[in-house]
Amino acid sequence: MADRPAAGNGPPHPTADGPADVSLPTEPRVSDVGPGGGRHVPDPADDEPPPAGPRRLLIAFYAVFALAATARGIVQIGTKFDEAPLAYLLSLFSGIVYLAATVGLVTDRRWSRPLAWGAIGTEMVGVVTIGIASLVDSTAFPHDTVWSRFGSGYGYVPVILPVLGLMWLWQTRGAARAVPADR
Amino acid sequence: MIQGLAIGVLSAGLLLGAWTGIQASRRRATTDAQMAGAIVLEAALLVQTVIALVRLIGGAPLAESATFVAYSVGILLPLPLGFYLALIERTRWGSLSLCFTAVVVAVMTLRLMQLWQAGGG
Repeated sequence: MADRPAAGNGPPHPTADGPADVSLPTEPRVSDVGPGGGRHVPDPADDEPPPAGPRRLLIAFYAVFALAATARGIVQIGTKFDEAPLAYLLSLFSGIVYLAATVGLVTDRRWSRPLAWGAIGTEMVGVVTIGIASLVDSTAFPHDTVWSRFGSGYGYVPVILPVLGLMWLWQTRGAARAVPADR
Repeated sequence: MIQGLAIGVLSAGLLLGAWTGIQASRRRATTDAQMAGAIVLEAALLVQTVIALVRLIGGAPLAESATFVAYSVGILLPLPLGFYLALIERTRWGSLSLCFTAVVVAVMTLRLMQLWQAGGG
């Protein structure tokens, strides 16, 4: 869409890594971007809220895991609950936790961030606890859940995801306080 | 399921994931071609799901039919999510979102193929 690689609209990636970019000369073209260029060059001086990008990627992750874990829990409980009730209830529980985290990330209410903190914190504790428990006593978890063995059945994403989520929440904590007017 | 279609969908998912992943690594938003690719892939998934469910109702043998149905329907959901996120997030993060959901589709297709073969279909 607004992706013209070598159109010559200033340095394409002013936020590229490396200290060399710190002393960027002032953008000469900022003034004539106006009419046609819908995409405006990210400018450190811009008074914009923190980027929403990482949050949207987290939403993608959490929504997919909410679907995966909830569906898994429902299918397990619906078809073979007696085989391993604890593990299957845990599947459903993890699905609900992912669901809560997703809601917390998607919405922008007063309770959104506390909900996200609570859910992702629970997820962190859960994946570590169940991860250790499933290694120590594998008979207690004969059937895998999303969190068993630190989520090895899901490419270990379940153990990495809460770390990323908590990092994002921590890094954006100040920005969230700045816009309470929207609730 | 049809083996050929499933392998095609699997490859397309990985391809779209690699393509948008490279796009994200170059710090770019998704291109129109990538968005079109996502739509084509979703259409192929829809065809695959319909075929799979029709064959299932037609009496194809299956070991875990509940799981199979859940995957067949669930596989339709990630890509629209990634598409939407890539649409509203015109940065590399949108590209990464689409990349992730495309890979998820590929993995889910693999799982579907395993489930189908376990039933001897």
